[in-house]
This record gives sequence, structure tokens and C-alpha cells, in this order.
Amino acid sequence: MNLEKVIFGFFVILACALNFGFFLGDIGRPELHHPGELFAAVTVNLIALVLKFGDRTQLGAIHLSTSLAACIQLLAAALYWTWAAHIGQNVSEVAAIATVVSLSGGALLANLVSVVLLIGETLRQAR
Amino acid sequence: MGDVLFLILRRLRAPLITLIVIYSVSIAGMVAIPGVDDQGNPWRMGFFHAFYVISYTATTIGFGELPYPFTDAQRLWVIAVIYLSVIGWAYALGSVFSLSQDPEFRQAAARSLFVRRVGLLREPYCVVCGYGRSGQAIVQALDALGVRVMVVEVDAHRVSSIAVQPFHRAPLVLVADARRPEVLRDAGIAKPECRAVIAVTGDDEANQSIAIGTRVLDPQTRVIARVIDPVAQSNLADFGGIEVVNPYQTFADNLEAAFSMPDVLQLEEWLTGSPGSEPAPPLRLPRGHWVLAGYGRFGRPIAEALRRTGQTAEAFDTGDLPTGDYDARVRRYESIEEGLRACGAERAVGVVAGSASDTVNLSIAVMARRCNPQVTVLMRQGRAFNAALIEAARPSLTFVQSDLLLHEVLQALTTPLLDRFISHLRLVDAQQVSQIRTRLEATVGQQVPSVWMFECDSSQAGLSGVLSNPFTPLRLDELMRDPREPGSRLRAVPLMVVKGAPVALSASPDSGSQPPARDTTSRLLRAGGGFSASRPVRQAIGSDIALDAGLLLLPAEDTALGPGDRILFAGADGVEALQRRYLFDPGPIEFVRTGIDPPRGALFRWLAARRTARAAAGIGSGRA
Repeated sequence: MNLEKVIFGFFVILACALNFGFFLGDIGRPELHHPGELFAAVTVNLIALVLKFGDRTQLGAIHLSTSLAACIQLLAAALYWTWAAHIGQNVSEVAAIATVVSLSGGALLANLVSVVLLIGETLRQAR
Repeated sequence: MGDVLFLILRRLRAPLITLIVIYSVSIAGMVAIPGVDDQGNPWRMGFFHAFYVISYTATTIGFGELPYPFTDAQRLWVIAVIYLSVIGWAYALGSVFSLSQDPEFRQAAARSLFVRRVGLLREPYCVVCGYGRSGQAIVQALDALGVRVMVVEVDAHRVSSIAVQPFHRAPLVLVADARRPEVLRDAGIAKPECRAVIAVTGDDEANQSIAIGTRVLDPQTRVIARVIDPVAQSNLADFGGIEVVNPYQTFADNLEAAFSMPDVLQLEEWLTGSPGSEPAPPLRLPRGHWVLAGYGRFGRPIAEALRRTGQTAEAFDTGDLPTGDYDARVRRYESIEEGLRACGAERAVGVVAGSASDTVNLSIAVMARRCNPQVTVLMRQGRAFNAALIEAARPSLTFVQSDLLLHEVLQALTTPLLDRFISHLRLVDAQQVSQIRTRLEATVGQQVPSVWMFECDSSQAGLSGVLSNPFTPLRLDELMRDPREPGSRLRAVPLMVVKGAPVALSASPDSGSQPPARDTTSRLLRAGGGFSASRPVRQAIGSDIALDAGLLLLPAEDTALGPGDRILFAGADGVEALQRRYLFDPGPIEFVRTGIDPPRGALFRWLAARRTARAAAGIGSGRA
């Protein structure tokens, strides 16, 4: 067993899982989406991104680009939420949470691609 | 650039992750710990404020307790946050600084910068591999000629002086091993702007692999390699398309010429001197017994040259004798004096001080004169800074490898036709040589003439019409008239005409795989192009000593010229510029032929045509 692979797989899957957890629930109901979950998703996604630095294979490049996409989506969601909660004057809470959740949904898609890549790579090596 | 970015990212993975973890733990703690607002109501910090507080605390800016004064629990947590984050930042910044000091990283960064600058270069340049004594001399000379230079050198110490040396445009430097193909490619040898690769490292092996690597990577680039070993030299000649410069052999050949054909040697020296200067006095070497002190790569070709010209030569060495098929008669003596006496220095007419060490050569010269005060001394000089020492010994002739190499390389680059002309001079009879000399002296005088090449380039505006007209071909003597007053002749002598190849052939790229030495037409195509030509073609050295077909020495005045023909001229200073007028503008050649300066603009051409038509009509009606 390779510890590096364990850590790598752990963070990739955790990033996807946290993202999914935040995304889960009715898109228009703020009480179903906790900001702490988004914070955790952002953090773990950033760690996953840094872990993917420096792999110069083709697969590594795709891994890195999926993580980049996910991070950008999640950071945009966090920024927008901050703006809507603290700065924006006439933003309804429902509209704000809908935007944030849909942005995190995009990130979830990217994270799913990342997980698929991880599984595909593992299966190819197993054969 | 991508390489360097990836290197940075990979090396900074651990510190970046540490920072992210520290920040996220700190923020999560700030959010989790309950606080109170200014009214004393329970209040929890949101992620936005937590991130703000951690950001200024972690970077030790410390705005204070915002937005409300902290509770003791929050303060406890902030203490932990401060120490954690200071450690995190210290680790991250330390990693960045140590990476920027890392020699491997600096090399990668310098290389990627070099590659980017080479990629952006849009002017002709030469790549010089090896920045030793010869390399330095060549780089400086090329820089003085206004040519961009790339230097590839494996030893960073040698190239460190480039930054402080006075160059017109400092050469781009790559510290890497040029034997590796990717280094050659990074140096830009495959770009069309690359005119030539000059391999002058101190190591024959390295020069060989650079030359062969360049030929394989880009068969179109000219390669000039310094190779001393005769076996390596013949290997490269067999490979084809590589110009080999062997300073030791050249020196020995010149010595041989000084005995067997002094007139040819004198003419050569005269033609290759710096234009406008007084010619060097002819080298007169005494015939008889010669002693060679120092027998190795330098001494051996000299001994052979001396014996070929009928002198007797005996050699000895104070160091270890080279192994292999060297002369078995050569012996080893511990003391120089003993060796000189054993080889017959008392009765010798000449002594060659040819050891690798300058101080040993000096003592050889002194002891040789002690044995025989009348003796002629030839000396080898290794280091440039010993020039004064060597000069003080007053040798008849000094061999400086870097000077000779510089001379050969520059000549090959600037006037490749002169190289061919000189190699042919050694094959023609003495009468022709003195004929050339007489004509040159009558036209130019005693001074060293300028030597240049005129190419009948049909792509230029001046000659395209004349060259494509089969009925009135361009004659050589037309190029030798003064374009300003056709009655007077230019002070120039055509030394050689190289017939151009058919246009269709020269347009097709010749593949590198074809054997270059066998195919005469392709060899002509390759032979010499001039440095300023759009793309210099290759020249195979060594194999084309025999007189080529399509090559005329001292051509007759009425020689008809075709497209692509190249003429080597020697003449007075400034004549080349006058002659160039024939290339750029069709006016001069018509003026020379008809005596009429043709009208240039469309209106004046129409007027002239009308005038001639009217004149013709007038003559016709007069007759009727």
C-alpha cells in the first residue's frame, strides 16, 4: 500500500463528498445549506488542488484542471455568498442561496470527473 | 517557462498545504468559539469575519479585535493561531527562498529564459559551443562583425566573464553540455535564423558529437568543428557536410607550403590578410636538419610535413610519448638539453619548440640557441597572456592555436569561396600563381586587397532581366566596369567563377541522407554561400580538393554568366559597394551596355518610348 496514493485518493474523494453534502437539498431553501460545509469543501478542494501540482503526465494535467475548475467554482460561490450576506443590500436570501448552490453544483461536476479519473487510473493499474 | 512553473509548484506543495490547513483550522476555530457582541448578546463570528481576522493576524499585521472585543475563549484560540500561522509562513517563505537559491532551480530558470529569448530572435545568429581561448576569440570577432552569437559552455566559470566584457551585443549564454541533443535544440540550431554552429571545445570527442548531432537534427545548418585527431577528422569527413578545422594540420600544411611552394603561400597570406594593410614579408625557412622538441598532436604533422618536403627531422619529447602508430624513432629524454643534443641541434637549421607548456617552450628556445646561435626557432604558444614571454624569445614564427582557428573559422564564414580558391591554388602550376599575383599587383597595388563574392542573384531587381535573357547574356567584363562611368574599369580582379546550379535544383531542399561527396551538382550547391546570403549552403571539406567541374580559376573577361553564378573578386577598397549597384537596380547595367541612363518612372519611360517611335517614323518618312 502506498501512503501517497492513500492521501491523494482521500483528499480527492473527500473534496467530492463535502461538495456533494453541501449541494444536497432543495436549491431554494437556505436552511438546508450550511456555510460551514461550504468552507470545508473549499478547504479540502484547495488541498486537493495543491496535491495535484507537479504531476507532468497527461492524466496529471487533467486531474489538475478538474481541481482548478472545482476550486474556481467554489471560491466564486463563497465570494458571492459573502457579498450577498454582508455587502449587497437588496438580495433576497432565497435568490442568493440558489446561486451559491448552483455554483457548487458546477464544482461537484468537476469533482465527479476527478473521482472518475482516479478510479479509472486505479483500475488500469490493477489490470 | 512551463518547466520552471511546474518545478516551483512541485517543490512548494508541502508548504502550501501546511498554510491551507493552518488557515482553515484557525478559521474553523474562530467560527466555532462563541463570542459576545457590544451589547453582551451571544454572537458567533461568520466565515467572512473569521477569514478577515485570521488574515491580518497570520500575517502579523494585527488590526485588533474586530468587529467586537474577543472573549477570553476567543483570545486563547487567537494565541494558538498566531504561533501556528507564524510557523506556517516561516516554513512557506523559507521554502521559496531556498528554492530560489537552489542551483538546479536557477539553472532551469536561466535555461528557460534563454530558450524564450532564442525563440524570439528574428535575426541571423551563430552558435559557438565552447568558450575557451578559441571560443572567446571567435565570439569577439563575430560580435565585431555585427553577428548575434549564442554561447553554449559546460563550465559556468568560463562564461561568467561575459557579463563584464565589452560586447556590442552581449552573447546569449547557455550553461549546459552541448553534446546533448536537447541542449543543441534549445540553443536554436534548428531555427532558420541559425547560420552556423561552431564547435570549438577543447575536446575532440565533444566537438564530434556536437557536429554530428547538429547534422542529424538540422541538415541545413552549417557546422564547423575543430578536430585534431586524424581518425576523428576522417570520420567527420565521411559523415559529410561537416567543415573540419584542424589548426595543427593547417600550420603543418603552411610549413610544407613554405618549403615546396613559397609563392602560393605568399599569395594566400596576401589575400587573407586584413585589407589595406601592408603584406607580411614572405616566410623563408632554411632547408636542412630540423629538431622537434615536443612530439604529440602538434609535432607529428610538422615532422611529416618537413620530411615530405625533403628535410631531415628528428624529434624527442620530455613527457610521456603518445601511444598508437606514432613514429618509433622518437625518444624520451628527461632533460631538454640532452634531447636537443641527441637529436643533433648543433647541426640543425631549425628547432620547433612544440611542447604543451609555454615555459618549457621558452627554455627549449633558449637552449637551442645556446647549442646553435644561428638556428631558426618556431614556437608554440599555449596561453594568450604568455604572448609577451614568447615574443621576448624572438621566434621566427609563432603558432597560436586560437589565432589560427579564429582565422580559419572567420574565413569559412565570411568568404567561403576564398577557402575554395586557396585550396585550388595549391593544385595549379606556379606560372598561373605568378600570373594572378601580377594582375593583382597591377590592379590593386602592393597592399592587401579586399576579397568579396558577387552572386548573380536573379531574385534581385538589378540582374533579373539580364540573367533571364538568353540572347544577351551577362558578361564578366560588364561587371567590371564602373557603373558611374562605363569607360573606366573597376579596380578588381576576378579570381574564380563558380557556376550556379539550375534553379529547380537549388530550390529543392537536399536531404541530409544523400552522400554529399559523390554528387557533383549537389556539392556545388552546397559550396559556399557567403554569410549575408539568405541561407548559406554547406561545404564539404576534404573531399573537394580535386578541381571541380564548373569552377573557373582566373576566368576570361568574356565569360558569360548565368543565374546563381558566384564570382570571387579581389580589388581595392570600396569597389564592392560600387559593384553591388548592379544587383539592386537595373539602371546601371543598361547604362554600361548602351551608354544611356534609362528613365525610371513610368511617365518618363513612356515619353522616351514615344520619342524613339517618333524618331523612327521620321527616319522612315525621310527615306520615302
